Amino acid sequence: MLRALSRCHAPVVRLLSPRTAVLVETVRGRKSRTDPKAKSKLGRIKTPSPVDPVEMVVLKERYTEYNLILRALRREFKEQMLRKKYEEEVGSVAEERAKREAEEHRSLMALNDAENLRICKIREQRMQKEAEAAELKKRETAIVRQQELENYIKEKERQILLLQEEAKDFITPDNLDQRIEEALDNPKNYNFAIDKEGRVVKRTAFQQ
Amino acid sequence: MVHLSSFLLTKYHGGHIVIRLALGGATNRPFYRIVAAYNKRARDSKYIEQLGSYDPLPNIHNEKLVAFNYERIKYWIACGAHTTKPVATLLGLAGFFPLHPMTITEAERRQKAALTEEVKRESQEQVEQKEAL
Repeated sequence: MLRALSRCHAPVVRLLSPRTAVLVETVRGRKSRTDPKAKSKLGRIKTPSPVDPVEMVVLKERYTEYNLILRALRREFKEQMLRKKYEEEVGSVAEERAKREAEEHRSLMALNDAENLRICKIREQRMQKEAEAAELKKRETAIVRQQELENYIKEKERQILLLQEEAKDFITPDNLDQRIEEALDNPKNYNFAIDKEGRVVKRTAFQQ
Repeated sequence: MVHLSSFLLTKYHGGHIVIRLALGGATNRPFYRIVAAYNKRARDSKYIEQLGSYDPLPNIHNEKLVAFNYERIKYWIACGAHTTKPVATLLGLAGFFPLHPMTITEAERRQKAALTEEVKRESQEQVEQKEAL
């Protein structure tokens, strides 16, 4: 029956209305359309609040002026904002920004180039050092190899000489008979005796 | 749950931005924030930006403190925001807007009422003096 209180009212604006009884438009509050009127309010005639016509005229004047000024202000602010936006995007601000960024870019590139140069120099020195070291090492290894080769040759020569020396005592088909004769003529005795104290006795009993 | 709607849930049709007072504070102690919000939003709910504050109760030195962020207010008015009557009156008193007509009218009314009160009191005093004599 009684609806919940709704927040929005139907607005009623009446300026310069006459003093006589004029019903204001009904405003729906707590009650719905079908609810009966309260007993205390049966004979009530609602009149709008009294309006002073002189004051009203003055007030209207003031309002027109006020609205004019406000509209001008709004336009002003809008123009300022558009101008600022334009400057920001296209005009002087953007140019300055572009210049600053170009400067920054150039300085950074210069820094980068300097750094690269420095590192390049360091790298070159290092490469040089390494090349020299490698050269040195190569030479040293060559020397060592040479040395080893020489040693090897010397060793082999020594062995050959030794062999040559020994070859003089070899038994050849020519010497064969002679050497057999010699061997048979000189029997060698390899026996020997040794005791725990280490005394060696070479001469033993003769055996045939 | 993933919210797929935009930051301020703006799916309004034909709404506009207003600069108005949002009520906060405690019982018997109101405090207003001057706020730019969409027209359709509830009074105290999510706003776009806070542009100032207004304390309706006078402080120790009998001052009512108001704060405004003029730069941002200019921006929002340039974007087409409306202002409510109390905000307009406050801005008028601050000097940013022209003085609101109702401020002037109410001041005049108060002055007239004070004048009539004074005249009535003087006439009453005169009548009493006459009666005394």
